[in-house]
Amino acid sequence: MGEKGPLKFSFKKLKSTDVSLEDVEIAIGRLAIEEEWEPMGPTPMPKIETLREWDMKLLRRYKPFYMPFCDLCCLCTYGKCDLTAGKRGSCGLTLDTQQGRIVTIACAIGASTHASHARELVEQLIERYGEDWPIDLGSEVHVEMPITRLVVGIKPKTLGDLAYALNYVEEQIVQVVASIHTGQESSYMDFESKALHLGMLDHVAMEIADAAQIVTFNFPKGDPEAPLVEIGLGCVDISKPVILCIGHNVTSSIDLIDFLEKSGLGAPGEMIEVAGLCCTAHDMARYRKSAKIVGPISYQLKFIRSGAADVIITDEQCIHTSILYEAKKVKAPVISVSNKALRGLEEVSDKPIDEIVNMLVSGKVPGVAILDLEKAAAVAALTALRIAPLRKKFKVIPDKKELIEIASKCVKCGNCRRNCPIDLPIDEAVSLAKKGDLSKLVELHYVCLGCSRCESACPRGIPILSLITGAAEHKIKTEKYLVRAGRGPIKDTEIREVGSSIVLGEIPGIIAFVGCANYPNGGKEVAIMAEEFLRRRYIVVASGCAAMSIAEYRTEDGTILYEEYSGAFEAGGLVNVGSCVANAHISGAAVKIANIFARRNLRANFEEIADYVLNRVGACGIAWGAMSQKAASIATGFNRLGVPVIVGPQGAKYRRLYLGRKEDREAFTVYDARTGERVWVGPAPEHLIYAAETKEEAMVMAAKLCIRPNDTTKGRMIKVTHYVELYKKFYGTLPDDLHMFIRTEADIPITYKFEILDYLKKIGWKPWEKPVVDPTLLKRLIRKPK
Amino acid sequence: MSVLPWQFGNVPGPKTALKLNGEVAGRLIKASKKPLIVVGAEALKTKISEDKYLLDYSIELSKLTNAPIVATSNTLKAFLERGYTPALVLGSVEITDRLRDSRWSVDGSEAHDLVIFMGITYQLQSQLLSALKNFALHLKTMSLDRYYHPNASWSFPNLPHNKWVENLNMILEILKKEKE
Repeated sequence: MGEKGPLKFSFKKLKSTDVSLEDVEIAIGRLAIEEEWEPMGPTPMPKIETLREWDMKLLRRYKPFYMPFCDLCCLCTYGKCDLTAGKRGSCGLTLDTQQGRIVTIACAIGASTHASHARELVEQLIERYGEDWPIDLGSEVHVEMPITRLVVGIKPKTLGDLAYALNYVEEQIVQVVASIHTGQESSYMDFESKALHLGMLDHVAMEIADAAQIVTFNFPKGDPEAPLVEIGLGCVDISKPVILCIGHNVTSSIDLIDFLEKSGLGAPGEMIEVAGLCCTAHDMARYRKSAKIVGPISYQLKFIRSGAADVIITDEQCIHTSILYEAKKVKAPVISVSNKALRGLEEVSDKPIDEIVNMLVSGKVPGVAILDLEKAAAVAALTALRIAPLRKKFKVIPDKKELIEIASKCVKCGNCRRNCPIDLPIDEAVSLAKKGDLSKLVELHYVCLGCSRCESACPRGIPILSLITGAAEHKIKTEKYLVRAGRGPIKDTEIREVGSSIVLGEIPGIIAFVGCANYPNGGKEVAIMAEEFLRRRYIVVASGCAAMSIAEYRTEDGTILYEEYSGAFEAGGLVNVGSCVANAHISGAAVKIANIFARRNLRANFEEIADYVLNRVGACGIAWGAMSQKAASIATGFNRLGVPVIVGPQGAKYRRLYLGRKEDREAFTVYDARTGERVWVGPAPEHLIYAAETKEEAMVMAAKLCIRPNDTTKGRMIKVTHYVELYKKFYGTLPDDLHMFIRTEADIPITYKFEILDYLKKIGWKPWEKPVVDPTLLKRLIRKPK
Repeated sequence: MSVLPWQFGNVPGPKTALKLNGEVAGRLIKASKKPLIVVGAEALKTKISEDKYLLDYSIELSKLTNAPIVATSNTLKAFLERGYTPALVLGSVEITDRLRDSRWSVDGSEAHDLVIFMGITYQLQSQLLSALKNFALHLKTMSLDRYYHPNASWSFPNLPHNKWVENLNMILEILKKEKE
C-alpha cells in the first residue's frame, strides 16, 4: 500500500488568552508542509455540506427533472415498493427522492471507479518510481493539476502527494455512499448535492490518475503535435501474433510493450501487434505510437469474433462481461490483471511463467488471473508467440454463404429488435439476408453498439452480431483512420493565448465531445457535430470513445478531422486530451482560464471559480453516447463547475436532467458584483444537463449553451451568429428566444441585422436597461454592497 | 389483457398504459377539453403512406381538434415548409418539464388535460412519459406511435405498420364525423 497520508487538523482561527492563531494546519504521520503558493481559500477538502449552498444555487435555477426508469425500489427487504405517482415506500421514500438516490448511486459508482483506478495506478507507480517522483507536466504547464489545487487545496509535487489527495477523495466517497443507505437522506435536492459532490471528487480522481501516468510513462505533456496514431478495425496486421488489451488501466499494457522491447521482440507491431480497445488503447498510443487503437467499446465482440486477437488482456472498466465466453469461442486465452474483474479465473501470480504459458497454450484453462503485471506481460507475449500458429486466427465470423444459411433460420419473431438498446431494425436486415441481400446488415455494422443482446434474445440462437460483422467484413478490413494521441493537459501558454477571447466571447465556445459509444445512430454523428463546430472555429476538445469516433470519419474531401485541424487549444483546434481520466484536463482548462487569465485564486476556492466558469466561460460538453456510471459522474462534475452537458436520447435513461426555464426571470437574475444590484442576464446558460433527440438539436443547443452573461458585445454577436445560423440551418427560421440574448442592437449579428430587428420590433423588444454587468451568484463577491 | 412493452426490458412497474385502438383514441381526444400534441423528429422520417409522413398526420390531427402542436427537435423546418406554424418550439425534455406544472399551458390559460405524443425516439419518449405519469398527475398522456409505451396513460399496442395506419386513420374519421 502506498502512503496513506497524515491525520490532519485545520482551523481558520484559534484564540486563547495567550495565543491567537490563524489558518493553522497540523498534520500527524506525514510531513505536510505546503508552501504558500497561494493563500488558502475558503473550502479546502470540502465535505458534503461545504459546497451545499453553491449546489442549491445551481439547483434552484436548474431544477432536477426526473424521468424514472423504474417506478419501484428494490434495495431493501421491505420492497419491492411501488413508488408510482406519489406513493411512498415502506421506508418513507418518494419516487423523486429515489431518483436522486439512484443518480447518487450512479455517481458514486463512477467516482469510485476512477478513484480506485487512480489509487491502483498511484500505488503501482510509487512502488516503481518512488513517492518523491516529481509531478512534472512540462515546461509550459506551471498550473499543473488545477482541479486538485481547487478542491483539495494542495499543489501536488510528487506521486506521494497524489496518494495523499486520494485519501480525501476516498473518504468523501464513503461518506456519500453511507447517505444512500435506507433511512438516511430524504431530500432529492440533497441527494443531488451529494451527486454533485461526487462528480467533483471524480474530477479530482481522474486528474490524479492521468497526471500519475503522464509523469511516469512520459506521455505527451500538453503537446499539440502529439503523433497521429492508427485507429480502426482494419488497422491491425493479422499476419502477426496479436495481443488485444481491453479496459482503462494502461499499466499492464505498458509492461507488455516494455517486455517486448526489452526481450528483443521489438516495438509493438514489429513481431507482435499490440492492439487496444477503449481507453487503455488511447493510453497505449500515448506511450508508443506503433500501438494500434482498434476502437471504442462497441468493437469488442466484433474484433474478438474476427479471430484477430491471439491473447486478450483485460484490465478494468467497460469490458464486456462475456469476454471469457467470447474468447473461448475463438480459442484465445484471457489474462485478467485486475482484482476488480477476476472473471472466476484461477489466480496464478505465483506460478512460474513457463507453467502459465503452457496452461494457456494447451487450452487447459480459458484464461488466468495474474496480478503481477510484469509477469502478465511476459506470459501474454510468450503465449501469443506460441498460440498464434496453433490458432491460425480462428474466427467465428461466417462467410457469405454460411451467413445466408444461418440467416435462413430466422422466424421473424422480432425479439432481436425489441431487445436492441437502440431499437435497430435487425429483423428486417436478417430477413433480407435470407434472400442473399446483405446490404441492411452492412448498414447495421455502422450503428450497432456491439452488445449482442439481440443474440441472447433470439429463440433460434442466431449469432446476429457475427452476421453483421461478416456482412461488413470486406469494409471492416479497410477501416483505417488516424487519431491524434491524447495530449494531456492544456498548456498555460495556450490559456493565456485564448483566455480573453473565450471569456469575452470572441471565440464562440469550447465544445467537448466526451463519453461512451451508446450512440443512437452510430459514431459518425459525433464526427459530423465536431466538424460543424470546427468549421465555425470553436475549440473542439475530445476524450475517450468520443475522441475515437471523431477519428473514424472522412470529410467530403476524404480527410480525417485530426489531420485537417490542429491539435492546439485554439479556435478551430481539435484537441484529443486522451482517455476517460483525461477528462479532467477539460474541466481543468476551464479552471485555468479563471486562474491564469482572470487571476482568480485557485486554491480551495471552488465556489468562486465555478461561479466564474458558469458566468464567463462559454463551454459545453456533448456526451452523445453516454452509457456508464462514470459518464454520469463526469457530467455531474462538469455541472458543479458550471459547465453544461448535452446527452443523446439514450442519456434520458440516467433519469435526471438539470433544466432551466428561460421564462423564469428570477432564476436567471444575478448580482452585479460592482454594485450589488440584482440584474436579469437572460438564460445563459439555459440548462446544465440536457437530453437532445437528434444531432441537429444538440448542435443548436450547444451553440446556445455557450452564451454567457459576461460576453462582450462583439462576443455576444459572434455567439448569436452561430446560434442563429445553426437554428436557421436545421430549424428553418430565426430562434424565438433571441430577445433573451440580444441585449442591445450592438449584439445583433450584422448578417441578420434587418431580419432580427424586424423580429425584435414585432415582439416589442427594447434594449436592456443593464446590458453590461459583472455577473455573480455569490453575494460575498459584491465589491460594493448596495 | 396486458401488453408487453415494445422494448422487452422496459418494464416500469405496476401502473402501465391502457391499450388503445383508433376508435377509443378518437373518442378520448374528442372528449378532451384541452389537448396538446407533441411531435418529435421521428415524425420526419416515419411514413404512413407513400407520400405522407407522421408529421403530416400531426398537422391534420391538429386542424381537426384545434389542439396546438409543440414541435420538438428539428421538426420545425418541416412544419414551416408545409405552411404550418406550430404553437411552440421546444426540446422534448423542455416541454415535458413544463407540462409537470399544473398551471402551465401553451396559451397561458388553464392547463392541458391530454398530451398526445408522437414521433419521439422510443427510449426517450418512454422516459418523458414516465416523468408525466409520476409527476404530472393532473394530466393524461397518449402515445400514437406504433409501439406500446407502458408509461403513457393510453398507448397503441405493438402494431404492424398497416394496422397502425388504419388506427391512425380511424382517429381522423371519428374526429371528422364529429365536425360534420
